[in-house]
Amino acid sequence: MSDPRAQVEHAGWLSSVAPAQPSTRPVSAWGAVVGVDSLATDRLILNMGPQHPSTHGVLRVLLELDGEEVLAGEAVVGYLHRGIEKLAESRRYNAVGTLMDRGDYMSGIHNELAFALAAEKLAGIEVPRRASWLRVLMGEINRIASHLVWYGTMGLDAGAMGQFLYAVRDREVLLDILEDVTGQRMMFNYVRPGGVVADFTPTAEKKLRAFLETIDGYLDEHEALLGGNEIFQARLTGVGVIMKETALAFGLSGANLRASGVSFDVRKDLPYAAYDEMEFAVPVAREGDCFARYLVRMGELRQAVAIVRQCIDGLPEGEYTAKVPKVLRPPAGEAYASVESPRGELGVHIVSDGGPSPYRMRYKPPALYALQAGEAMLPGALIADVVVVLGSLDIVLGEIDR
Amino acid sequence: MSVWGSGILNGMRITLRNMLRGPITLQYPHEKLELPERARWAVQMKREDDGSHRCTACLACEKACPDFIIDISVTTGEDRSKHIDRWRYEIGACMMCGLCVEACPFDALEMGHDYELACIDPGDLTVDLLIDTPAAAAKRAAAPPAEAKGGGDE
Amino acid sequence: MNPLLEVALRVFAALGLMLLNGVVLIYMLRKVLGRLHVRLGPTELGPAGMFQTLADVVKLLTKEDPTPTNVDRALYFLAPGIVFVPALLAYAALPFSGELVIADLDLGLLFTFAVVSLVPLGIVAAGWASANKWSLLGGMRSVAQQVSYEVPMLLAAVPPVMIAGSLKLSDIVRAQEPLWFWLPCLPAFVLFFIAGLVETNQTPFDLSEAESELVTGFATEYSSMKFGLLFLAEFSNIFVFASMVVTLFFGGWRLPFVPVDALGNFAAVVFVAKVYLVIAIMMWIRGTLPRVRIDQLLAFGWKVMLPVSLAWVMITGVALRLGGPLIRGAQ
Repeated sequence: MSDPRAQVEHAGWLSSVAPAQPSTRPVSAWGAVVGVDSLATDRLILNMGPQHPSTHGVLRVLLELDGEEVLAGEAVVGYLHRGIEKLAESRRYNAVGTLMDRGDYMSGIHNELAFALAAEKLAGIEVPRRASWLRVLMGEINRIASHLVWYGTMGLDAGAMGQFLYAVRDREVLLDILEDVTGQRMMFNYVRPGGVVADFTPTAEKKLRAFLETIDGYLDEHEALLGGNEIFQARLTGVGVIMKETALAFGLSGANLRASGVSFDVRKDLPYAAYDEMEFAVPVAREGDCFARYLVRMGELRQAVAIVRQCIDGLPEGEYTAKVPKVLRPPAGEAYASVESPRGELGVHIVSDGGPSPYRMRYKPPALYALQAGEAMLPGALIADVVVVLGSLDIVLGEIDR
Repeated sequence: MSVWGSGILNGMRITLRNMLRGPITLQYPHEKLELPERARWAVQMKREDDGSHRCTACLACEKACPDFIIDISVTTGEDRSKHIDRWRYEIGACMMCGLCVEACPFDALEMGHDYELACIDPGDLTVDLLIDTPAAAAKRAAAPPAEAKGGGDE
Repeated sequence: MNPLLEVALRVFAALGLMLLNGVVLIYMLRKVLGRLHVRLGPTELGPAGMFQTLADVVKLLTKEDPTPTNVDRALYFLAPGIVFVPALLAYAALPFSGELVIADLDLGLLFTFAVVSLVPLGIVAAGWASANKWSLLGGMRSVAQQVSYEVPMLLAAVPPVMIAGSLKLSDIVRAQEPLWFWLPCLPAFVLFFIAGLVETNQTPFDLSEAESELVTGFATEYSSMKFGLLFLAEFSNIFVFASMVVTLFFGGWRLPFVPVDALGNFAAVVFVAKVYLVIAIMMWIRGTLPRVRIDQLLAFGWKVMLPVSLAWVMITGVALRLGGPLIRGAQ
């Protein structure tokens, strides 16, 4: 697979600032690239710019097109860079959670949890059992919410509008529950090194049980509305195929990897929090195309609901946090912890020098590798497929750019 | 079109069914949602029944804020009593994380429920929660409810 | 009546119909889509948000209308007109009732289709002239899909013509007894409906203005009243196409078990109600289905719809030859 960057010619001011390779384009029309029936055709460089209805954030994709077919694509990221890793170097350990929330903003709990686990490894803190269960419960609620957004926007990318609002309707209930427990709908600041900030509330439990009564029926409807739709299936099958070896070579994880036939789930293979006490299945598909990723994520939605049921029914008594000093000063050293976020294996690597802030925090975003794999899927696709591929990978620019 | 197309027709049936369930819209600003107790919006000074505040100018909140948006200017009198000139708070930059409320040992702050904070004048984005008032006495109030706070305090 | 006055009245009737229809349809679209999406549509302006479209029209009229630098100026300004005028002309032959027709042409069907097929010209002109690659793609897609589906659409409209024996639209309506044509010509109806969805750029075939891919497609660089004209033309096309469906397959202005001219001019209300029902179904489809890809669309059109429509024309011909008087009913 040749480097597509060699084929994409940067248009406009980019080429004037840094002239890349010498242009291989002929100057006159007589020597131009010859297409069908000796009609001269030219390749179009299209900029799916940072402002676009379908790029899931401020992502810029440069496409070189031959008509509607993509010859090469290049993703340009960095439009959402806020310096999270650098900012973490000047925050106390209990405040880094506020930064991590804003990385992958769709799944704040998992981000905070990854950091908390790494800090706990460093400082040798043991988390009470109830806190672990609460982390799992909130994490899975967050996973359902994130997957519902993915489901809604997947349909929007394909052109359907109804399912987005139905997914949002279901998600509103979850956000109410999250707000009841943590205080905010999205930037939770809930999981800290040592445990969680506050206990589950009775009002949240009531809302959650009411939600669990109806969600299965709604999920059936969602599956039938998009997955059962022949047009949607035709748009997604065979598009954006990535085989097992390529997926592993790109470092994919999560649903993107499982849809290519590799059964790897951090919750099962490197269990953390209370996942070793939970019973759930891990959906795996073999085809590696967009529809396989769709099916895997719909399966994950169902499994997340099952885990939530187990958690709320079996929540143990106890403390919701360990005793942790306000200003945590872990001993010098380094630790890495990873969680299964809705996007894949989200890892946090902390290097500590004994001070109140991490010396270096590295945030490994699964969506970055998914985007790179997505770039490799673009040649040969049509423009409509570009949108569908990016949607099926479930990328969030907050995590890619940090 | 009996087998191919049945998914499309089923999808249309689902949309019709959802339409008949009725809209879920809450017509803001005519109707407003009840916020849960723990909802975190702009920081407010807690007031006693007689209107006094509990802030002792210990500056714990200023140190706890991750974005350094609290600025308390204090003058210390000769008898070691503190006088708060200005308790400045940049609402415009606040991310409502609640760390300041957790850090306060005297339960002087709370996260308010007021989310209608839009303003026209950028000067309104910085407010003074306290102006020119003596700091409260630094004896501990009756133990602040530990359940609502973060883990442990030392 | 003074013939000049009569012509002027008819022209203004068409214009008035088109504008009124545009206003009502936009409101109806927003409300219907809103309800399908478990939300309310416009609610603030006027009772149940009725005056929202009026406010939108005022907004469009008063909006800044920048012309991008590199546009092909002549085409850029003409393109909305090229899209708008055929949409207006197509109202001419629609039979609202036995007598309420702007121009009851003997070649009504042919005229309507001929006029409507000018619309892709305007769309590709808009896409090309906009000096924007996204618009260009939208325009190209549009011309490919609309030209490809002209043939199946016309062929699907032929069986009703064969049974009625005339191209005059009011004759086709009168011939629909005892059964409306949707039942004896069921495949033709389905094909015509699908082809019409393609011709009017409606979901699932709205590739030329696919919001999630092409921003606004061919209309990206248009704003203010030029955009208003394009938009209005789109809704007029929808009305015209739905009217063709009702005229050809659903008995036009007729009610079941009621003689043809019994309602007089009140039948226009029946006609419009039926048309709006068809449009509501189209909006229902719009709120549900995803979009097809351009290669899938063209493959479907040429490889499936064209052969099926040809086959159905042949079958109708054979059936008429064998059992003509039975099918033609009391004529």
